[in-house]
Amino acid sequence: MRRILCLLAALTLLTMCVSCIGQRQINELALVTAVGIENGDKPGTIKLSVQMIRPADARGQTGSPSGGTGQPIYSAQAEGETIFDAIRELGRFVSRRVYWAHNFLIVMNEDYARRGIADMIDFFTRNHELRMNTWVAVTSDSPAELISTITGLEVVPGQAVDNLFKDNRIAGQAPSSNMMNLEEAFLSRSAEPVLARLELVSRGISNKKPLEHGSIKQVELAGAAAFKGEAMVGWVTPAETRGLLFFTERLESGIEVVGCPNNGNKLSLEFRDAKLKIKPSYRNQQAQFQVALHTNADIVESGCETNLAKICQDVERALEDRLKGKIESLLRKARRQYHSDFLKLGDVFRNKYPEEWRKIGDDWNSVFSEAQVDVAVSAKINSVVLKSVGSVK
Amino acid sequence: MTKIRISNGMFIAMIVNMIFAKSIGVTQGTLARFVGHDMWIATLLGTLQGAIMMYVMYSVMRRTPKLDIMGLGEAMLGKWFGKLIALLLFAFFLASSGPIMLTFVYHLQDYFLPEAPLWIFLVSSLLVGSIGCFYGLEVIARLALLGMTFIFLLNVLIVIGSTAEFDIRNLIPVLEFGFPAAAKASLHFDADYAMAIMMAALVMPLIRDSQKSGGKVGMIGIAVTGLVTLIWAFLESAVLSGEVTAQYAVSCMKLARNAHIGDFLQRYEMIMIAFYSIPVLFEIVFCIYGTSRSMTKLFGTRNNRWMIVPAALLIGGFSYRIVGDHFRALYYLERIWPYIAVPIAFGLPFLMLGLTWIFRRKLRQAG
Repeated sequence: MRRILCLLAALTLLTMCVSCIGQRQINELALVTAVGIENGDKPGTIKLSVQMIRPADARGQTGSPSGGTGQPIYSAQAEGETIFDAIRELGRFVSRRVYWAHNFLIVMNEDYARRGIADMIDFFTRNHELRMNTWVAVTSDSPAELISTITGLEVVPGQAVDNLFKDNRIAGQAPSSNMMNLEEAFLSRSAEPVLARLELVSRGISNKKPLEHGSIKQVELAGAAAFKGEAMVGWVTPAETRGLLFFTERLESGIEVVGCPNNGNKLSLEFRDAKLKIKPSYRNQQAQFQVALHTNADIVESGCETNLAKICQDVERALEDRLKGKIESLLRKARRQYHSDFLKLGDVFRNKYPEEWRKIGDDWNSVFSEAQVDVAVSAKINSVVLKSVGSVK
Repeated sequence: MTKIRISNGMFIAMIVNMIFAKSIGVTQGTLARFVGHDMWIATLLGTLQGAIMMYVMYSVMRRTPKLDIMGLGEAMLGKWFGKLIALLLFAFFLASSGPIMLTFVYHLQDYFLPEAPLWIFLVSSLLVGSIGCFYGLEVIARLALLGMTFIFLLNVLIVIGSTAEFDIRNLIPVLEFGFPAAAKASLHFDADYAMAIMMAALVMPLIRDSQKSGGKVGMIGIAVTGLVTLIWAFLESAVLSGEVTAQYAVSCMKLARNAHIGDFLQRYEMIMIAFYSIPVLFEIVFCIYGTSRSMTKLFGTRNNRWMIVPAALLIGGFSYRIVGDHFRALYYLERIWPYIAVPIAFGLPFLMLGLTWIFRRKLRQAG
């Protein structure tokens, strides 16, 4: 009897091991690599553009292997009352099952972002397939066009934008906004979301028509989109975004160009080891912040044609003014124009003054707008890199 | 028949396994809903309370080192009192199957197999659990040792995968909602420790030198559990933030979903869930064991093996009712379960401590 029972139990367990439930064959999947979201043509609807990968043509680096169609991606568009509804619409004509786990990018149109993105955040964080480090951005162009534009050396546009974001710290002019930090900022009581801005710019040069300079559109990271609550309130320029990254991503290095003090030429400085310190205080019912940025810098390109050691102090002042200008311009925009604390100063204040935060936290954006913020920047040039000429007075 | 002996290491592993899966899986999310990023403080407070209660339970059990808590009750106040305690234990373990099963099912169904029907998860886990239970406590204890290794590996993986996103600023201000709120929230973590305390009430007589070192070993078990759980509390606060953690029913899967090692190793939660499987299965096995042991006492049968199938069926039915509806499940988890678990697991040891003091002479004679 025991043997029969054991056999029955083993057979029952065996049926659990066949892995048929929920199985998905890879050749039955449409792997999404980028999603574009915008307002639909009908009022109250959402238009969803999806870029899907065509594996046979996407393999290798140049695409179009023999037997393929030559198109590494397939893009499609659908409209619905909600995002999920639009995805279900896709199912009516996309021959494979839409699969989200390999998505690199979600890009929203400005009009949609200004209307509010709570539904987008909710949908993509509720979806168990989606990666939380999927990049999220806003564009003033058509998301459908943006996600179908082949950029750089990659054959899959979504992957190209993924690489742009990965190397974003080198240019340092757009935030590395992904679903993880978007959700955190969206739910936070002491910070507002800020997303990268993507733009289509005619920068590529056709190999076949080299004289038509800039004839090919490319996707570029171009500043940021500031939010207040769920709705976008405005753009942040790439220069201001440089200032923003000191606050939100602890940016340490970057390139700044300043004018030579002795002639009208230019000088490139690579600042590095930049450190931003924020000291909050609360006096007379008013929040105050002392923002101090210190950075070292190297002279990496000089058109000054003079002994650099002699103009070093002037160049340092010029770099300080330049960085300070970017931070102050950003602060003006955040406080006076957008009334939105996407710099996360609220986090700093809340951490230092939890008791006071309880009183003023609910009205933080107004408090932030009225807060006094003093900015001080100090820079020290340490090196002229490789060359010794001009480094001694 | 060889007498079952559980080593001190096994007992520690059993305590950790009995608490870990639920405490990182769903309890941290509950704590975050009450106290935000101070969930680690609630976890710490719960650990201290758990350690104290484990010692109280040891103080009760050491009076009669050969008897479990039902036997102890019977020795003091007769057969019917023993059955009354068995009834309490039965109610406790049956009620605990709700949170345990929802932890198991929601991890797998919500994140990996949304199309699979609920009964598949319940039947497979109860089948495996019943087999484990059939082979007895020593096998269950050895499973706990394996589970301990898996817990260690799981924690290593999550720490490596989350370090890049760790932001210590998310952990401050400390005690933002105040100490009373954190202490109140720790009740939910106490409910997890309650399972270990009730487990100790059944297995302590089988532990080697339990009369001498049971209290110390029990408290070490609770401390180790606190430590391995605190890692998740810190990570969920610092990586996800309290606000994000509070949004999710299974908050540890949210953290696991965010984890990545460099650019190339993404989405390895399937590996982590494999490591998670043994601790969560241990909870199910012991839930069946506890229910069947108490039923054995209630119905006066000689061997708990005859009660395994009825216990599994009861647990299956109860959990199907609870887990089948997310709203009901979360209501049960946060509003009902702690108020069943804590009074029984914290009240029973104190009651028994008082009774053992009153009946100390009788127990000495019986011992």
